[in-house]
Amino acid sequence: MKTITFDQKKTSSIALEFDELITDNIYAWTEADFAEYKVPVGNSRFPITDYFDITVEGEAESPAEVKMILNGDCGRVKYIGCKMSAGEVVVNGNADLHVGAEMSGGVVTVFGDVEAHAGREMSGGKLEIMGNTKEYCGASYIGEWRGMTGGEIIVHGNAGKQCGECLTGGKIRVKGDCDILAGIHMTKGTIEIDGNVNRWPGGQMKNGNIIIHGKVGRLLEGFVEQGIVENPVADGIEYPGKYIEYKGDIALKGKGTLLIDAEKNRDRLSTWIEYDDEYNAVRTYQKQ
Amino acid sequence: MTYEPPVTDYDHIVENCTCAFCGCNCDDLDFLVKDGHVVAVRHACRLGASKVMEDMDQRLLVPMVRNEEGVLEEVDWDTALDTAAKYIAESVRPVFYGWSETSTECMKEGVELGEYIGAVLDNQATICHGPSLQAMQNAGYPIQTLGEVKNRADVIAYSGSNAMNSHPRHLARYAAFPRGYFRQRGRFDRTVITMDPKFSDTAKCSDKWIGFEQNGDYGFYNAIRAVLKGKKLQSESVSGIPAEDIYELVEEMESAEFGVLFFGLGLTHTLGKQRNIDIAIKMVQDLNANSKWGLTPMRGHFNVNGFNIFMAYETGWAFGVDFCRGYGRYMLGETNTIDLLVRKEPDCFMVIAADPGAHFPNGANQHLADIPVIQIDIHWGPSTELADVVLPGSFISVECGGTSYRMDGVPIWMKKAIDKPETCRDDEWIVRELKERVMKLREEPNVADKYVPNEGLACLLDK
Repeated sequence: MKTITFDQKKTSSIALEFDELITDNIYAWTEADFAEYKVPVGNSRFPITDYFDITVEGEAESPAEVKMILNGDCGRVKYIGCKMSAGEVVVNGNADLHVGAEMSGGVVTVFGDVEAHAGREMSGGKLEIMGNTKEYCGASYIGEWRGMTGGEIIVHGNAGKQCGECLTGGKIRVKGDCDILAGIHMTKGTIEIDGNVNRWPGGQMKNGNIIIHGKVGRLLEGFVEQGIVENPVADGIEYPGKYIEYKGDIALKGKGTLLIDAEKNRDRLSTWIEYDDEYNAVRTYQKQ
Repeated sequence: MTYEPPVTDYDHIVENCTCAFCGCNCDDLDFLVKDGHVVAVRHACRLGASKVMEDMDQRLLVPMVRNEEGVLEEVDWDTALDTAAKYIAESVRPVFYGWSETSTECMKEGVELGEYIGAVLDNQATICHGPSLQAMQNAGYPIQTLGEVKNRADVIAYSGSNAMNSHPRHLARYAAFPRGYFRQRGRFDRTVITMDPKFSDTAKCSDKWIGFEQNGDYGFYNAIRAVLKGKKLQSESVSGIPAEDIYELVEEMESAEFGVLFFGLGLTHTLGKQRNIDIAIKMVQDLNANSKWGLTPMRGHFNVNGFNIFMAYETGWAFGVDFCRGYGRYMLGETNTIDLLVRKEPDCFMVIAADPGAHFPNGANQHLADIPVIQIDIHWGPSTELADVVLPGSFISVECGGTSYRMDGVPIWMKKAIDKPETCRDDEWIVRELKERVMKLREEPNVADKYVPNEGLACLLDK
């Protein structure tokens, strides 16, 4: 096992690009190699040692045997763990754009907040963010209709707009709140949100599951209420409790499932079905 | 509005000139010239006419460089160009912003300079129709020319756009009023629908106004799509519009012989942003199953579309193209000017034919005050107060010729009508001069090496 530790010496207002410094490339590097390496900064390259003290301990024969530890505020370090296929990355601080984007394996853990584009188009591995993240978490890049296709993203804080856009597989769990259009255009996979959702979850979704444990601001017209379900199962996982189930987005002939917590969204239940306190339908009216 | 008598005191008329104000690019203007100045404009709207007629009080006439006391002082062209070239050559994260009010020929020089130095090239789309361009990359672009609209369209829909104020001749020349080949009775053969939260001037002259609530665009278009798919709406109203009105609207849109949706910043910059355009494009595609529909963004500056078309052709990206790694890259929120400035990344900023000082948010302008700013423009404005080097350009379509792209993507040659002031230079010449001087500076040994893609990694991987 090899541990490569980056201790921050100074920050840069211009972002450092770490797309070359992934476990797949650097598993055999020594401290001398790092001393020789120049990191892309804007239109130039500068020695990585200007920004980080780097220590290398142990040996590795494959990327899976490498653990990268970044200590300090990496709020201006982009592409951490981007396109990595194995190994482990730990960021003890904030991280910049594209963390874990297009990764196919390994584990990235950020003990801080992460900028936008985290885990975009990832196909495997695990990305765990202890703080908040901004827009397009687990989404697709512009012009692409397939976003995250596999792996798992866990956000312990809040997520920004269009989380899980074009989700085609894998699972996203947001333990905080989510901004608008979570799961827009998704075709497969699962998004689980513990907090509240601003509005329009699942816009234009074709398939897949969105489970919201908090309150939903506004739903799109393309979601048709199916009634109350108890302990629903989605992708083989049971979600205890009572949920209002919707199918949609019918504007796209979609068959996605949207489950929202029945207790917190009781005002949302259709007026033409009367429910008792246990959410059992006691009387049904024909919709006018 | 007071009566203004027609101008009769002029030397000669230059006919068929092109307006350099909005994306309509009206090319039927007559400039009335006296003593080498445009004194009146015929056929133009008030906005276009006021821009074409020179305002010499605010005209930038000589190059200026900010001295150590922080005052702009007049210098010769060589000094100004050398100072600007030095700022660019020494920069690590340069941004070249603007380009929408200059010619496409000037953009060509700008891209060569940007690609050489590794700059970000961005234009006003970043604060206006950028979301439209992103959506078009995702969902396609069912467009038609304004000529087709004039000759064929029987249903005109404006969404989030107040064309009567922003593009005053749009309705008169292309959309609602003109008599076309298949629309011989002009306005009487057309139905005009305005979809806007505000009862705007455009809504006032429309047959129908759909005043959905603010930020309700996405939900509203989603409901239209659901109805188009034959589904019944579940709510009594969507985004503040009664369900019956939506059914009626959809019926009207489906029965159009040729319909066009013009959309403005009211759609691109409300909640949902590019996804509003995405769903509008998809709605147009749905409508095309039963009818014939197209859609066109109401572009603002006269050549803002030109920069996007030119950059998309040259680099594959329409705006916010970052050449810092030696090849073009684009990412929303990362390579757009506002984001870069708010993140305090740029260390040199060149603004050409734009006014970020007036249009950018405070956080972005604060950073502009801290870094070298080079301004190429014809008028004094808030950006001049931020500029360290001022290079006076010339007025495209009045003082020099150039190519512009109309909002529907039709290229139009804008001809020269009068001579420019002796001390000013063409934008194209200025950018070319800067490029040559920057290249010369970068060849000197005391300047950092030009970025070579992957050099840093390749030298280690070879071991």
